Amino acid sequence: MSAADLRASTSGATGLRVRGLDAAYARGPKVLFGVDLVAEPGLVTALLGPNGSGKSTLLKALVGLVPSTGAIELDGERFGALGLRERARRLAYVPQRTQLAARLTVRAVVELGRFAHRDPFARSSAGDDEAVAGALDEAGVAELAERRFTELSGGEQQRVLLARALATGAETLLLDEPTSSQDVRHVLELHGTLRRLADRGRTVLVVLHDLAEVRRHADRAVLLDGGRVHAAGTADEIVRDDRIGAVYGVQLIEGAGLGYRLREQEDAR
Amino acid sequence: MSRAAACWVVVIVLLAGGVVASLLVGAGDLSDAALRERFLVLRGWRLANAFLSGAALAGAGVLVQGLFRNPLASPSLIGTSAGASLGGVAVLLLWNTLLAGALPPWLPAELVLPIGCLVGAWASLAILLAVTGRDASMITVLLTGFILSALFLSVVGLLSAIAQERYELGRAVVAFTLGGVESTGPRHALLALPLVAITAAVSMGWCRHLDVLLSGEDEARSLGVDVPRVRRWVIVWAATLTAAAVAIGGNIAFVGLVVPHVLRSFVGELHRALFPAALVGGGAFVVWADVLTRVVPTTSPIPLGVVTGLVGAPVFLVLLARASREGRIV
Repeated sequence: MSAADLRASTSGATGLRVRGLDAAYARGPKVLFGVDLVAEPGLVTALLGPNGSGKSTLLKALVGLVPSTGAIELDGERFGALGLRERARRLAYVPQRTQLAARLTVRAVVELGRFAHRDPFARSSAGDDEAVAGALDEAGVAELAERRFTELSGGEQQRVLLARALATGAETLLLDEPTSSQDVRHVLELHGTLRRLADRGRTVLVVLHDLAEVRRHADRAVLLDGGRVHAAGTADEIVRDDRIGAVYGVQLIEGAGLGYRLREQEDAR
Repeated sequence: MSRAAACWVVVIVLLAGGVVASLLVGAGDLSDAALRERFLVLRGWRLANAFLSGAALAGAGVLVQGLFRNPLASPSLIGTSAGASLGGVAVLLLWNTLLAGALPPWLPAELVLPIGCLVGAWASLAILLAVTGRDASMITVLLTGFILSALFLSVVGLLSAIAQERYELGRAVVAFTLGGVESTGPRHALLALPLVAITAAVSMGWCRHLDVLLSGEDEARSLGVDVPRVRRWVIVWAATLTAAAVAIGGNIAFVGLVVPHVLRSFVGELHRALFPAALVGGGAFVVWADVLTRVVPTTSPIPLGVVTGLVGAPVFLVLLARASREGRIV
């Protein structure tokens, strides 16, 4: 029994299981065709594929933003049967770009993540404040808390959106290219955060573009091509010359590129 | 003291000043002890009506701006104020012509117009909701509201033209379309107060939904907001507030647009802070505007809606100019 299996069996969480998912935008062409996918608790599962292969659409379909047919099961329950607030408490979504253009403070943005936990008239509870503070810390944006969201860089905004997702307390996290606007250091920190969340038994499904990142930081990977699952397996099984070549039409060069990591004393954080 | 707290102090001081000015200023002479109490009571009710209509309009403005996620939206966008105007003018005309001033015994004459407004407003709301359906986009709501407004205002124009055939009726219609609270009394206030109070209280419960909606419809949904449901109900509350305001004071221009807009830069964009501030701020604004209608020396009083427009539009221009100099959209 692997560590992940052990955690899953003790927490009762079985993660996200998707079978035969078809999705199409309203009055648009079909985008996903019979997608099967498993994201287990305790693991970081990467979703990769060329531009237009349906990665973002898949995440949106899982959140219910794009109409879909097929089975989505979250920790053993049919996701579609849950109410919207219940869904928000169980599954959090970090979009690639936000529509949020209001001049709110970072703290206020993260507090929006507590919506599904509150009554409309209730003031924020101690539990809310704790969740918000924890989320700000975890996403590494605590020092930005009083800044205006609209005045932040794209990378900082993405981390604030992660904090908002963490504030929901959801056990399952879907992230759409959270590292796309981050500098090298923040890419590493973000993966460190995702790893810690997985280690605590959360289910993490993350869209990544950088194949080196997938191999270094993800446990499992699902490779999409043209709206279908081309292959799924461990990150090493998927980021292989034959598969990558077939889908992207490029050749992998082992050992190429610069390596970097956080410094020793920071690793221990 | 935080900006928001300072803003509340200013708004409350303004309101208090408005209350005093509104009681003291006017055509009647308060030094006559025999008439003093009578004047004060009349002015008190007029003051209450000015406050209620301003509060309702500014509150509706916050709701509509939150719904459209656009600080330039105003309550007139959803067609209710035009519907209320049409209801009001239609009732004035009907009552003065076909009904020849006859009324059922339970209906006081001064409530004919307000009730016509409420009926017109809710009828236009019903049409809007029926046309847009559950899953309509905000663009559909916007366009439907715009078309309904245009249609209703055309009919208002037609009825006003017809009304000019009788001098008194024509004057009444013009006075109503320009807005004003000078001839309102306790019955108006007692009709509008429960509507405004209950709707405002209920709306407070929807402010958190609107806060999350600042993130856009997709993100709001992923955070647990049932967007179509919020849209429907918030339209209902905004329409009801607008209806109540038009029923008391006719079409008072610019309040629903300018007041939330000015307050937003002080209390912030979160609706649960902005909405209550707009209620009080909108009330204070219209109370002062009503005072102004009495102090400007003219032979006949200036309509209230003209004053709010004359004050509101330049304020808005200044805000726009400042915002565009700072390189941000308003």
